[in-house]
Amino acid sequence: MSEIEFEIDGKLVTANPGDSIISIADREGIDVPRFCYHKKLSVAANCRMCLVDIEGSPKAQPACSTPVANGMKIHTRNDKAKSAQKAVMEFLLINHPLDCPICDQGGECELQDVAMEYGTDVSKFNLGKRIVADKGIGALIQTDMTRCIHCTRCVRFGAEVAGIVEMGGTGRGEDVKIEPFLTEGIQSELSGNMIDVCPVGALTSKPFRYEARTWQMSAVETIARHDLVGSNIYTQTYRGKVKRVVARDNELVNETWISDRDRFSYEGLNHESRALHPKIKKNNKWQEASWEAALDFAVNGLKKNAQNANQLGVLASKNSTLEEYYLMQKLARSFGSENIDYRLDKADLSIRNKMLSSITLAEMESVDHALIVNSYLRLEQPMINHRIRKATLNGASVNTINNKKFDFNYRTDLEVLCSPQKTLLMLQSILKSLHNKTKTTAPKNLSKIKIDDSQNKIADDLIAAEKPVIILGEHVNSNISSSDITDVISEIAALANAKIANLSLSGNSLSAEKVGFKPSIKGQNAASMLSENTKAFLLMDIDLNYDFINSKLATDTFNKDDVFVVSLNSFEDEAALINLDVLLPMAGLYESSGTHINFDGVAQSFSASVKGPGDSKPGWKIIKVLADLLELKGFDYTDSSQVADDALSIAVSEDNEPIEKNIKDSDDSQIAIHWQYSPYAIDGVTRRAKALQETQIGKMNDAFISVATAKELQLTEGDLYHGVPVSINETIAEGCVFVHTYQSRKG
Amino acid sequence: MISDQAKKEIDFWITKYPEGRQSSAVMQALTIVQNENGGSLTGDLMREIADHLQMPAISVQEVATFYENYNHKPVAKHTIRFCHNISCMLNGSDDLISYLEKKLQVKTGEISKDGLVSVKKVECLGACVGGPMCQIGDQYYEHLTPSKLDNILDDLK
Repeated sequence: MSEIEFEIDGKLVTANPGDSIISIADREGIDVPRFCYHKKLSVAANCRMCLVDIEGSPKAQPACSTPVANGMKIHTRNDKAKSAQKAVMEFLLINHPLDCPICDQGGECELQDVAMEYGTDVSKFNLGKRIVADKGIGALIQTDMTRCIHCTRCVRFGAEVAGIVEMGGTGRGEDVKIEPFLTEGIQSELSGNMIDVCPVGALTSKPFRYEARTWQMSAVETIARHDLVGSNIYTQTYRGKVKRVVARDNELVNETWISDRDRFSYEGLNHESRALHPKIKKNNKWQEASWEAALDFAVNGLKKNAQNANQLGVLASKNSTLEEYYLMQKLARSFGSENIDYRLDKADLSIRNKMLSSITLAEMESVDHALIVNSYLRLEQPMINHRIRKATLNGASVNTINNKKFDFNYRTDLEVLCSPQKTLLMLQSILKSLHNKTKTTAPKNLSKIKIDDSQNKIADDLIAAEKPVIILGEHVNSNISSSDITDVISEIAALANAKIANLSLSGNSLSAEKVGFKPSIKGQNAASMLSENTKAFLLMDIDLNYDFINSKLATDTFNKDDVFVVSLNSFEDEAALINLDVLLPMAGLYESSGTHINFDGVAQSFSASVKGPGDSKPGWKIIKVLADLLELKGFDYTDSSQVADDALSIAVSEDNEPIEKNIKDSDDSQIAIHWQYSPYAIDGVTRRAKALQETQIGKMNDAFISVATAKELQLTEGDLYHGVPVSINETIAEGCVFVHTYQSRKG
Repeated sequence: MISDQAKKEIDFWITKYPEGRQSSAVMQALTIVQNENGGSLTGDLMREIADHLQMPAISVQEVATFYENYNHKPVAKHTIRFCHNISCMLNGSDDLISYLEKKLQVKTGEISKDGLVSVKKVECLGACVGGPMCQIGDQYYEHLTPSKLDNILDDLK
């Protein structure tokens, strides 16, 4: 495309045909006032604030919807432009209340800023102002719709980005109101972004309401760690507390959006169950202790119970930092133990169970076909789902293979229901179909496998696509054949020339993988540690009731008299305390420096936004001191960045287990259970974030069972299945129970 | 609940538009459903229309609240839809509406005590030549005066 040359405020610039004046003004650092224009949303041109003067045009033109043309002479600040902008400002202020002193947006309000420059101090308007009654739209967003200036950014955000049209403009003329349908409220998992796009105080953060003024807070650049994306955020802090989280632009990672989980999870940090002081259990009684005493007690207990080094087991959740993983595994290995694991919710713990992603976040939005396996992508990885949604808007097609039908916010072509037991077979059929279609020889172990129409269609779609991607989600973790499944997916991807996105490794799992936070062949994995002769445990950020695939086994093991358990945690729960011997209070999310490795393999480091409450200390420091007290060498770190440097420079050698290939006869008599936490119950902080729990997503609590399976289990609608109400319907595959809940895993 | 008969009628209108543009039939759908429901709409009905036309419910509500011909509260047997736009206003529609309100002892939007008549201000009905005017049912009444209104009201049963 040839470039266009034109003049803006006397400056000669070039642009591509179709560029809007406002985008070029932004590029050139020329400030044009605007409300409805947003770089990531469609152009509405309804606020009229960005009027500029174009020579030759009798009237001022909106800069957002006017494309540049050759030879144009644009003035953004001459008298004509200014008087047009001032006139629009006067109109916008007619109905806007003068309540800035009690408005949470005050100090960061686009209207306030623009009014400072373009508004007049006297209003000529002496009629009644419009007032809109508030009806409440949910636990996350506070509405004050009297302040709304009808820019429709939130409406367009819903339609174009979130993929669910929730906000709309009802009524007409002066009576237009921006509101959701009736009293349903806002359900999107990205809804918090409406707060960010709202240029006035109409939509503000509900948990943040009246907490602090914006100018009192300091903003710290940091990284959200609840998913694989590592969205870039600012934490805004006031008097040592995180008061709010807002998005930070990073086109390669999260663009300008963040998920509600990343935005509102900080609330959990102020929960009353924070662990504030070290505690030790002496004679079955808990008592607070100084750090010295608690660490001594812990070290002595560990030494006593793990007289053979291999009696020590080290476990961590998926949400620790790279530094914590690195030091923890270094501690265990220096101690002489290979019993290290973070894969607490996985059923298949064979080491070869590792499939790398071969696509970047940014590339996800240019795929032309996606096969989603075992994932409710929308809720589990909202920002990755957003990229796929963008791809579908450009014509990409999507097929899914899931235990249950899910509500995606884009059109899916084929939704195949498949129970966990049959998933491997299903994928093998697709693989065989691909072999047939590409005229390659299928391996012998596939010879008996049958192929049906849907499997053929999935294979066809993969072959026909130019840039297909296969996405494997976290539901595969509870599958006992997950390493076979990843093998078959790798083969399918190779044959179909498809990229792979392995989203079964969520949170900060990639950091754990990076530093080898897994047992080598000599060591024991999470499951065998719990059932075998491990006598001393070091736990990091683990909630006993939630994190283990078999939480009963875990609690029973930790409860044994001859098992000594030291837990580093930010929270203390009575239920969890029963099973522990030492609790070391660890700084939580945003309270410690660290590193997150995201889907693209990018290590994003962050500093602490605030100090942990009480006596809590950053995890990496606690582990370092523990290691020193255990008289282990090589822990002379004074700063977490030194740890990160070491962690990123080590190369972990992968042991290769022999691969046995055979078809496992699926055992149909067994009913498979997949326990999927609601996206707002995935870790200690989110579970304690109050507002998130009050949303519909947070309240998810259903055990989905098909009619036939319910009969087999003798369950009827509304019965409790492991404490979760049964919902019988046809959106779930036969032979399995899909539990979608915030409740902890029972049994 | 939308009856099967009404759904059939809506489906007829859907065929008038290109495939995939079924949401274009929303205005006819709202009219059909409103008539079936005795002259007004409810949230549930709008939700059903949205599901039937595969469109967001809020978009149905946007249309249903934009146009004056949809009612969101139960209506009287007869609704006097009185134009209050410029031509009618210049010819005295405001006075006539006040006259009606006084005579029926209702405000616009309310139902008279006997449940027979309600008054609603609407935007231009395209009969400016006959202003001030109103619409009752499918009938236009033009060049209105207080005495003409008296006669019209007497005839309403």
